Amino acid sequence: MASAADVRSILSLPEPSAVAGPSQPKKQAAVSTRKPEGISRELYSLIGPSAPSLVTLSKPQLKQKPNLGGGSKVKWEYRAFKNSARQDSLELRHWVKASTPADEEYPFVKYNVSSNVFTYSQDEYTRFLEDKEWSKEETDYLFQVARDYDVRWFIVHDRYDFPGGTPRTVDDLKDRYYSVCRKLVRNRPWEGDETSKSQLILTYHFDKERELTRKKYILSLENRTPEQIAEEEALFIEVKRIEQNERRFRKERDELLRTIAGIESGLPDIVEDEGLMNLAIDTKKKKRGSMAMDIDSPSTPIVPAPTPIVKRPQTAKNAAFDAANCIIRTDPPATIPVTKAAHQPAHLRSYKLPVPKAAVAPKITAALAELGISHSRLVMPTRDNIMQLEALLEATTSLVDTKRVVDKIGYDIRILKSRLGMRESQGAEGHPDAMDVDEGEVGDDGRAQSVTSARSARNRKQVRTASKLEYRY
Amino acid sequence: MASDRVRVRGVSIYRPIIYGNTATVLTQKERDALPSPDHTHKWTVAVRSAASPEGAEQVGGADDLSYFIKRVTFKLHDTYPNPSRNIDKHPFEVSETGWGEFDIHIRITFIAESGEKAISVYHHLKLHPWTATGEPEIPPLDVAIKAGPVHSWQYDEIVFHDPYQNFLNILTSHPVTHLPKAKRKPVPFHLAHPGSLDASKGGVPEFTSLMEKEEAERLEEARQAILAEQERWRAILVEKEKELERLQKQLAATPLSS
Repeated sequence: MASAADVRSILSLPEPSAVAGPSQPKKQAAVSTRKPEGISRELYSLIGPSAPSLVTLSKPQLKQKPNLGGGSKVKWEYRAFKNSARQDSLELRHWVKASTPADEEYPFVKYNVSSNVFTYSQDEYTRFLEDKEWSKEETDYLFQVARDYDVRWFIVHDRYDFPGGTPRTVDDLKDRYYSVCRKLVRNRPWEGDETSKSQLILTYHFDKERELTRKKYILSLENRTPEQIAEEEALFIEVKRIEQNERRFRKERDELLRTIAGIESGLPDIVEDEGLMNLAIDTKKKKRGSMAMDIDSPSTPIVPAPTPIVKRPQTAKNAAFDAANCIIRTDPPATIPVTKAAHQPAHLRSYKLPVPKAAVAPKITAALAELGISHSRLVMPTRDNIMQLEALLEATTSLVDTKRVVDKIGYDIRILKSRLGMRESQGAEGHPDAMDVDEGEVGDDGRAQSVTSARSARNRKQVRTASKLEYRY
Repeated sequence: MASDRVRVRGVSIYRPIIYGNTATVLTQKERDALPSPDHTHKWTVAVRSAASPEGAEQVGGADDLSYFIKRVTFKLHDTYPNPSRNIDKHPFEVSETGWGEFDIHIRITFIAESGEKAISVYHHLKLHPWTATGEPEIPPLDVAIKAGPVHSWQYDEIVFHDPYQNFLNILTSHPVTHLPKAKRKPVPFHLAHPGSLDASKGGVPEFTSLMEKEEAERLEEARQAILAEQERWRAILVEKEKELERLQKQLAATPLSS
């Protein structure tokens, strides 16, 4: 075949120099630059010819090897240090770089964290924490041990030795501990919002049954004999083989049917059957869903769980519409049949202000009055503010309850002390040093309070007046 | 239409309203012109929408509420002629003169489409200026006249649960003027928030959504204070319980002297 150049020479045309024809691609550019090492061909073809000078200048720099201090010498010093996490002021010595400041805190102090173990009052115990399996004493003991060993369960379990108690597994201990924590969180007034509360409860989640099953499974998994393992593997391979065979067989059958009967599609295949069934169920569901839509408003779905279509999508547009028109949507309880009598009549928002229990109402009013809040009226009784007020009342009720229990116990203490004082004053003649023992033992709240009940009462009074919210009799 | 009389479940719709009164001291000349010269004040009691109209010297009333309120009955003191005043159209208000404060029974009847019963509320007619303590205090008239008109208004919301479809349509076809977000005028004084006394002076007050936020903050602050207190008392309680237990043991250990 004659090339373009031959044709030109035959036709005595001038050699094209400046303008190259489409049949003569430039070859020089590709030849002149070579792909450097360490860069992929694809990448080079992108950046290469357009900016060859940049790429060919230097080899791509790899990350430099770290300088492991091979060069200069570092001075180390053997210094004394104090560990501020220690209760005693023990001084130890260790090697540090000479460059570290002398008064630097021991860096491992921050790892000495103590876990925050709950405390509960007797009142809370009797109200929420009673359990058939556990006595108050043993629960107290459990919490003490948990505190001592920072809730490290295996240590806690190892050291756990409640005199006269039944033997407990580590799961028993965990179960009791976490259930108590959960109940306390649930029942105490909560400072944050609901989500953080439920999150905290979730962190105390412990499912004993599940934990036991899990451990049982692990145990059985670990206890397999080599023969069993081998058998398992053999079975697994067998299953794989059967599956493969079946796939091949089905393919062959399809091909056979197609060649014999010429059926192109719609083979009564297993997979297709399933699909058909799904389809049937789907349409049924849809029908039911749309029926629910037709019969009633979207709020009363007949089947609540599998009908996501029924629920009105809460789009931003809807929300804006609702806000503009002061509409609040709630999911009505589907179980309660809606009758005429159950209809909540129109009312003013302030009709629904929460009311404290009559027994504690005066105390709550007094406590809130000191904070400048009147619970019987609001400036702006909106829905949110009423909810806020509810939370406030709940917290205050619980405070008043606590104070009442404190008072009751204070009264009990007073009685006990006077009885004790009476006995001691009677017994003092016989036992001259009985008083000293008592003073040493009871000494944190009132000093020598057993001598007279009048003095101890004064002590308590001081405690009480110290509080801002004074308890009203 | 039949479908109109279907209740829309799971929906509650509310309308922000205010009710209350504004009172002004009468001048001597005005008093002389009255048939009963012992009257000292001119007052207007009203039920209005909560937002104030632009530019008007009036508390609330930006919207005409007659699209869902059929009638407001103000039951005045029995000494007034014809004490039950029925107002069937916007504005729902009664203006009178008088010399004393008393409770006014306000009854709000809704339009027939609502299918709802009337609701009632009481308002204490306020003539004399507010005081920080909330104690009633009647200053001499010349002092009161300088202090300007007295405003006593309560914000509230009328809530309709599961409204009928046609009633809901009526409500939503009348847009609500929302409360302004920022404070432009004095704050309406309220006894539940005595601290607002100073902020309430100097002109016609206006309700704002800021007031709601501030009240929410006040409540939240109080709750935090209560919770801190509760934490303290719980600690005291645990201490006391320990002490009690110790004493009980001690008592058991101490021999009974004969």
